[in-house]
Amino acid sequence: MKKREFSITLVKTLIIAVFALAFLLPLIWMVTSSLKNTNEVFAGNWQWLPREWKWGNYAAVWTDPDVSMFKAYLNTAFITVIGTVAQLIISSMAAYAFAKVRFQGKQVVFVLFLATMMMPTEVTIVPRFILFKTVGLYNNLWAIILPHFFNATAIFLLRQFYIGLPDDLMEAAKIDGAGHLRIFGQILMPLTKASLISLMVLSFISCWNEYMSPLIFLIKKPLYTISQVIRWYMLDDLQRYDLNMAAATSAIVPVVILFIFCQRYFVEGIATSGVKG
Amino acid sequence: MARKHRNQNQIKENIAGYAFVMPALVTYVLLIAFPFFLTLILSFTKFNFLKVRSLAKLGKYISWIGLDNFRTIFTDRRFVQSIGNTFVYALTTVPVSIVLGLVIAYLLNGRVFCKKPLRLAFFIPYISSIVALGAVFKFLFREDGLVNRALMGLGWIAEPWKWTVEPSLSKIPIIFLVIWTSLGYVMIIYMAALQNVPRSLYEAATIDGASGFQQFTRITLPMVSPTTFYLVIVRLIAIFKIFGSVNVFTMGSSIASNTSIVQEIYSSAFSDYAHGYASAQSVVLLLIIIFFTAINFGGQKKWVHY
Repeated sequence: MKKREFSITLVKTLIIAVFALAFLLPLIWMVTSSLKNTNEVFAGNWQWLPREWKWGNYAAVWTDPDVSMFKAYLNTAFITVIGTVAQLIISSMAAYAFAKVRFQGKQVVFVLFLATMMMPTEVTIVPRFILFKTVGLYNNLWAIILPHFFNATAIFLLRQFYIGLPDDLMEAAKIDGAGHLRIFGQILMPLTKASLISLMVLSFISCWNEYMSPLIFLIKKPLYTISQVIRWYMLDDLQRYDLNMAAATSAIVPVVILFIFCQRYFVEGIATSGVKG
Repeated sequence: MARKHRNQNQIKENIAGYAFVMPALVTYVLLIAFPFFLTLILSFTKFNFLKVRSLAKLGKYISWIGLDNFRTIFTDRRFVQSIGNTFVYALTTVPVSIVLGLVIAYLLNGRVFCKKPLRLAFFIPYISSIVALGAVFKFLFREDGLVNRALMGLGWIAEPWKWTVEPSLSKIPIIFLVIWTSLGYVMIIYMAALQNVPRSLYEAATIDGASGFQQFTRITLPMVSPTTFYLVIVRLIAIFKIFGSVNVFTMGSSIASNTSIVQEIYSSAFSDYAHGYASAQSVVLLLIIIFFTAINFGGQKKWVHY
């Protein structure tokens, strides 16, 4: 019996491993191509490994005087950090109000917020373009950051969490004379740490990989995000496939490393967003 | 006296409540609600914002054309095709990624070796930049790319297929790209759902002599049906607004056989500068999404077991 169980586990593992390898092949191709000579990427006598390992491809991508990956990393990191931190704070505040403050009109505002979950931001690209251009945020990183300030899903998930926190915690603090700001900032918000980390991961992924907004609003090369650098190499007349893949690898590797270290939070973050509230 | 006190309390609560909601509310009004209504209004106009020289005379640049944009949409063969293409993407990628995602989650949920590294393999495409992955796929499906090389090596095709140029083939690389990038998400959600299925159900079934396959169809499938329902909605909506994976393939090409709704909205707005028409196209997209969300909620009662 024991032996049979072992072989079943082994067969299952092998089946998944075959799938997993198929999943990784495109990425392996990407990494090896990033270390080849340009003409080797699609050479007639093609092989997986580079004939000569061109580590210089990465140096070229990261220090290009025109469109440097380094600058793109800074831009993307700026967008990601500010967008994520602001989203978490703003969503927490709103969630607290919806769950624990008895203000008039609460239901109306909450339903209005929830309704936006049905409306994709893609629907409003024209007005947002008009708006940002009018107020001078065209070719400005803030045009990408500001929309992240409001996230109905984050508010909804955090509200569920705040509702689950017992009111006794607040009542005791109220008797001691604490106002809402103290109750929120010092007592309740620290208790939502697990949810916040999960939401942080989700926001990180969406900010880091954002494509459409930068494409519309960031036209000047020094403002390019990582996505745009890859796009730039794709459209470039020189068709440097090796550099293109070095840029793609540069975009993906940090996320994967982060994932390996915070695997639990990534998985929980994505799973909680999908659990029926 | 007590009443006055209560009123004062209510006022305090109102102030606190709105103070806490204010940052979200302001962003909502400026960046969601106002743009939403502007989309609706602009959809009845012919308008090019880049021609506007002074905002004070904005009215001069907007011409009201009633429902003309919507009439144009249904004779605009490219846009009609983009709607058809988007449905093809939805009908192919949603079922495949959900079925494969469930199978992989089911296998990974049981006893296997190296669970975490295996999970990582399926997950990387989901968390990675879509442009980076799109670039990889565009290269893999080139005429002299790895896909043709492999198929020819296997003897399945005699000469290289033009995946990215030939209209009848041009959707295939995008379909593979979407399945590849969305499967990790489906898998994670199912893995969470499978953990909530009580073990006792399987134990009871085993005692009654149910086979592994019977247990999967009679216990697992019904128990995860709320999750399946959720995933169908989420994935459908994600596909209806598909842009990145399509844009990577449409950039630098003019074929209409693989374009998507949002790709067409984007090019109306930022290549043709037809901001009124792009708004009307956006309204059509919104109606499609609302329609399918409603159908899904209606159908939910019939096949979801709680």
